[in-house]
Amino acid sequence: MAKNTFSSEFRNIDVDQYNEDNYKDEDAADAQTHIGIEESTIISLMNQGNHAEALKMLLQTAPMTSKGRNDQAKEAHLNLVLKVLLAVNKSQMDQIITVLDSTMLDVLMKYIYRGFERPSENSSAILLQWHEKVYNVAGVGCIVRVLTDRKRV
Amino acid sequence: MSATLRPYLNAVRHTLSAAICLQNFNSQVVERHNKPEVEVSENNLGLDFKYDGKVEGESSREARSSKELLMTPVVVSRNEKERVLVEPSINSLRISIAIKQADEIEKILCHKFMRFMMMRAENFIILRRKPIEGYDISFLITNLHTEQMFKHKLVDFVIHFMEEIDKEISEMKLAVNARARECALEYLKRF
Amino acid sequence: MFYSRSFNMTEVHLFGTHPITCHAWNRDRTKVALSLNNNEVNIYVRNGSQWNPEPESVLQGHDFRVTGIDWAPNTNRIVTCGADRNAYVWTQGDNCKWSPTLVLLRINRAATCVKWSPLENKFAVGSGARLISICYFEQENNWWVSKHIKKPIRSTITTVDWHPNNILLAAGSTDFKVRIFSAWIKDIEPKPTATPWGVKMPLGQLMTEFSNSTGEGGWVHSVSFSMDGNRVCWVGHDSSVSVADATKEMAKTQLKTKSLPFTCVTWVSPTSLVAAGHGCCPVLFSVDETGKLVHVTKLDIAQKKEAGSLSAMKKFQSLDRTARTDQSDQTLATVHQNTITGINVYTADRSGKATAISTCGADSRLVIWNFDSLEQALGELKI
Repeated sequence: MAKNTFSSEFRNIDVDQYNEDNYKDEDAADAQTHIGIEESTIISLMNQGNHAEALKMLLQTAPMTSKGRNDQAKEAHLNLVLKVLLAVNKSQMDQIITVLDSTMLDVLMKYIYRGFERPSENSSAILLQWHEKVYNVAGVGCIVRVLTDRKRV
Repeated sequence: MSATLRPYLNAVRHTLSAAICLQNFNSQVVERHNKPEVEVSENNLGLDFKYDGKVEGESSREARSSKELLMTPVVVSRNEKERVLVEPSINSLRISIAIKQADEIEKILCHKFMRFMMMRAENFIILRRKPIEGYDISFLITNLHTEQMFKHKLVDFVIHFMEEIDKEISEMKLAVNARARECALEYLKRF
Repeated sequence: MFYSRSFNMTEVHLFGTHPITCHAWNRDRTKVALSLNNNEVNIYVRNGSQWNPEPESVLQGHDFRVTGIDWAPNTNRIVTCGADRNAYVWTQGDNCKWSPTLVLLRINRAATCVKWSPLENKFAVGSGARLISICYFEQENNWWVSKHIKKPIRSTITTVDWHPNNILLAAGSTDFKVRIFSAWIKDIEPKPTATPWGVKMPLGQLMTEFSNSTGEGGWVHSVSFSMDGNRVCWVGHDSSVSVADATKEMAKTQLKTKSLPFTCVTWVSPTSLVAAGHGCCPVLFSVDETGKLVHVTKLDIAQKKEAGSLSAMKKFQSLDRTARTDQSDQTLATVHQNTITGINVYTADRSGKATAISTCGADSRLVIWNFDSLEQALGELKI
């Protein structure tokens, strides 16, 4: 008998993953060169009360790559975004949303759903407010794009 | 607290309306198969499954789905205890609900109630026999259901279900407490 | 359960209770071939303003459900493909019976879509085997043989459409890409001349490839070449509509809409297209001079429901059946009550501009939308 019948580990390999024809998520090399925003910039903007500007900056520089890549940068960015979102009160939300264009609204909706995954004291209630307001402006298409996009925040 | 109920249910409704756009799709991995892609995906092979989507351990069975056919799973939460996980794919949608259970007795009631319904899952048509780990009850909606039934009514049903569950469990809890009090009164009358 | 209703703007025909998977018209629009989500194709004949409830012929040959039908207008042949990995070409004999001819697709997964080429000497079949079969007739053995286009397709092909030059083919797939291939079969046709899409066109040559949304996803549900062949439009599951123009260096323009995703799209004029899908309502878009895509109008004017007073009898009946007294939210405000699954140009004028389109849906309805009357009703509708 051949020597390699000792181990049957090879039976556990999923051969299909090595099939070249399979779909693979592409990720351009710029995933590594993501430039994060300094936390201090955001804090200072928030202290000035300029939440809209802070949010705009964060949404435009969001690290969007396919699942499982660039997790650290995504974590850091997510924390900053949530900080800004939770600091805004209901009356200011409408005003901030008018400043954002449709691409930024799509990214914002992605962050809202990420925020739902880690609820803390009052976070879900505020995020539900945000969800409703963004939905009223961007419609159900915005939610569809959160579901279909391969690039996650 | 109930101020968040309406926004919560609305958010779930909108998410479901977006995710319930299903179509018939034959398997591209296995000949002549036509299975709900969300159920035959890698996430589902009896491995440890954390609700944030990370899969642990090595796969000892092949994935019978392709990752481009699955959409991003999303969570809508009302607070730390109540949330809904929506996992969409091209021909099927899985909705898992975590119900508020404030104390031991609600936990037991909820567990029994869910078990009662899941044993009769065939009559419910869209109910799944086992909930996803981390949740109390799960629905599986496939393209067959959306072809036979109105999509907006399916969503209405799930939302209605979520509303009624809390009421039912509270009612049952009151009934249990009332019965317990009666029994105790009767028994202690002798002493 | 069969009826036809005609307002001026729309003709609604109900074909039972099962979803219509796909439909195709014959040349003079007196017959329609459609599949009711099963393994048969029914051919219905028009009877005045209605359709005969019983099908004139039933094409039985497939073992699994039929996924695509196309009817060649000039040669009067029907090609069908199904989830059983087969395709058949049906010809009508002298006794008016349809009989199938074998097609050797050589695929090992379900077929998903099929289209006759403009000259009707070949057809393309997309499949879950991640390849496209281009089939042409081989006289000696009386069957259709196929050549495959494989690279670089990575997932199921969901939709195909031919360029007017009978050579180029657009294909959309669940790997989020739209690709233009050359489907030149040198055995049956002369070498093609250059087009804005490219010069060299051997079989299987990838002329160009478009991502639905740069790396962001959204399965491509339907693709359509414009009448002059220089533009291609497609709809993706991310609720977007896109147009690419070969004469403008493959410039792509995309409109991300607020509605539910579209499943089918077709050009109705050199500058307008109609898309329909999960929102159950066809929508008209147009491409302006700068090449930008603009939403023009929905084609469905919400019919106001008569809110008549509910009689006591009706109240108790519905209480008994569904435990509710008010049934008004059962029906949608749109004509189609469920997802629209297919769209075709029904009639067109001399210049090629469509004057009516037909849509089929999962609600078993086939609806014909008449643009002239719609124009009057909607005002801003200009094709």
